Amino acid sequence: MALHDRLESHKALTTAWGKLIPEKEAYKYATRQLAAFCANLFQVMRILEPDFNKRTEAICEISYSLNMSVSGEEYMNEFYDAWNIPEFCEKSAWLGAIFGDYGDEAEDMAGRVIQFTKDRVEKELDTCPWDIVGAELCNMTTAMFTANFDLANGGENDVSLNMCEARGCGDRHCRVVAERRSTFNLPKQGFLDHMQQPVMPVHNTPEERTVSEGQILRNGQYSNAFGEEHSLEYDYRWLCEFGWAWCVAFPLVVIRDMAEDEDEFLRIFRIVFSTAGKNLFMEPFAREGLRSWLGAPRTIGDNDPRLMGGYIMAVLDSQLVPYELDAFTKDEVRINVTADDFNGRFEMAPMDELAIGYEALWHNAVKTLVSAEWSCWFEGIDEEDMTIVIGRKIDKHMI
Amino acid sequence: MLFKEDEAARAEAMAVRNNAAWYRWTHDLVDVEGPDADKFVDYLFVNNIAKAAVGKSKYTTMLNEDGKIIDDVIVMHMGENHYWISTLYAPQFLKWAAAHDEGFDVTCRDVTAEWDMVAIQGPNSLELVDAVLDEPVDELKRFSVVDRRIGGADVKVHRAGFTGEMGFEFYIPTEYTADVEALLASEGTERDMPELQILEVYVRSIPVEKGFALRQDMYGLTPFECDLGWSVCMDKDFVGKEALERAMERGPEKKLVGLRFERPSTEDISQTEIVYRKGVPCGIVRTAIYGYTVDDNIGFAVIDAKKAIPGERVTVGMNDSPAVICDKVFV
Repeated sequence: MALHDRLESHKALTTAWGKLIPEKEAYKYATRQLAAFCANLFQVMRILEPDFNKRTEAICEISYSLNMSVSGEEYMNEFYDAWNIPEFCEKSAWLGAIFGDYGDEAEDMAGRVIQFTKDRVEKELDTCPWDIVGAELCNMTTAMFTANFDLANGGENDVSLNMCEARGCGDRHCRVVAERRSTFNLPKQGFLDHMQQPVMPVHNTPEERTVSEGQILRNGQYSNAFGEEHSLEYDYRWLCEFGWAWCVAFPLVVIRDMAEDEDEFLRIFRIVFSTAGKNLFMEPFAREGLRSWLGAPRTIGDNDPRLMGGYIMAVLDSQLVPYELDAFTKDEVRINVTADDFNGRFEMAPMDELAIGYEALWHNAVKTLVSAEWSCWFEGIDEEDMTIVIGRKIDKHMI
Repeated sequence: MLFKEDEAARAEAMAVRNNAAWYRWTHDLVDVEGPDADKFVDYLFVNNIAKAAVGKSKYTTMLNEDGKIIDDVIVMHMGENHYWISTLYAPQFLKWAAAHDEGFDVTCRDVTAEWDMVAIQGPNSLELVDAVLDEPVDELKRFSVVDRRIGGADVKVHRAGFTGEMGFEFYIPTEYTADVEALLASEGTERDMPELQILEVYVRSIPVEKGFALRQDMYGLTPFECDLGWSVCMDKDFVGKEALERAMERGPEKKLVGLRFERPSTEDISQTEIVYRKGVPCGIVRTAIYGYTVDDNIGFAVIDAKKAIPGERVTVGMNDSPAVICDKVFV
């Protein structure tokens, strides 16, 4: 088929230099961007609370509570219809597995439902973009699953739920198994009890039949066992809204409380994101790789702020954040964006920390990507209309 | 997902094939009533529904204006100008009916919450059915409905099923479901007729072996592309008829076929996995499941009609899983 006939059928974002990045690649990039922000946030948590169990229990508890509060009974009833869940499927405890399966695939956590019975559900993942974050997040997801099961059951569930393998812990697969407590004679679990082995043996998919991408990347859409289908476009939007909620907004609530006060939290938060930013382009091949990815020509020199501007534009585009380019010269880059768009990815839980975190990240990234003469800051960071600026700045207290 | 080694699933499947078993099989149920109910169901569905006598039922598909399947249902003729429609998608059906009921004096009501349904399936199912009913149903013909009692419950007994075996369905007022299930459990245990626990065994594995597809497998195809031409009555008016006539002239573009997979299991194959012939996409998988009667990994796929040739070798998914196109009836 001639290119002309395909022009309308494939979507892509355009870099500052006109290179097209296909929608699938942008989506995949966005999943890892979210995971990286989450990984930085969890470093903040580890500084504030050195005890693994205490911090893990804290984020589990808050994630459980918030998941319960954002997904009420009405939400679940609509969910049953919207997802074509048939009446013969008991709406007691196991529907949580259906929602969990969709959430996995929407975020490119590629895998399969191994078993789905009245008394046992087993879900296996071969990939997880969030596998860089650490074991606390793996634990936290079990608390969210518990909330899903409780919601589906209309109250406390009858489920023993274990993430018996986790890529964030170094395992080859992630594996969550839910077994009915009354059937298998199992005790009710606390938040830190969800990483145990299940009663029944698991099915371990051989390496030659694992998959490296989720359904929407492999097949262009997600389809569940009951025939509900979601497009890449739908899942991409879901990722860029709810993805921020579960892995950043939920844990942020409690991580903030681990600090003595707001100033202490923000001090450590900025330091962690600054460090991450400094390391982003430290390697010379990282800079060259970025140039290639963006299609940046050699006329954009090594000390040109437009390289950083083009990078930020690609990040915003891939995260589906609308913006307006106000200036793009060798002296200055200015990108206008509203706080609603930048911080309010998940409308119910806007986060000022997104602007604060990215300001720290990008201010330091520009120093290794371009040079130390350049800084990045958000004008009007506390206001509705913000401008991301890349410009020259001299500061005798520069960090 | 089912595996060859799953002895629990195998035992459930074999119970249906060799003896009998029972399970909750509640579908959404829509009650259609009114002076124009006959005309209305005939207008919505491709089969000649109104010709079914009271007490009889018919399988049929429902098409959109493009002549493509949007649902497949069982329609039961419950009385004069009174029908029950058994579907998995009552909310969507009601919207569709409301959009097409202009000029028809008819009322459609979702009665799903009022009726549970239990399926009793297998060559010996009549024995269990008769054991719990007040009167036997030995003479009940296939696709027929009669009234009976189970304990204090007035139930409808429908001789039908989704297993390809002799079978019955009990429609039970929901307040009596627990009583009926307890009785079936008790009588079933005495006869080694278990309650099935594994959804995929009775929703997928057993039906796929017999070539029974779900709506999702056929969605967007014409009935002719799914070998359901026998159910289409072109001598009456129905939604999608004009488009279907044009489609008949053009011939099928796609075809719902069977696939036999040639690997020990199918963990890397989802419901919409891409099928390749000589490395070129030619369709998508609709289901992949283990069949315990055929002892093989089997499934359905929608393939470009010209390439839907029985015996043709294809590969599926990112790991090039080999498979062979075949008839969609495996046993």
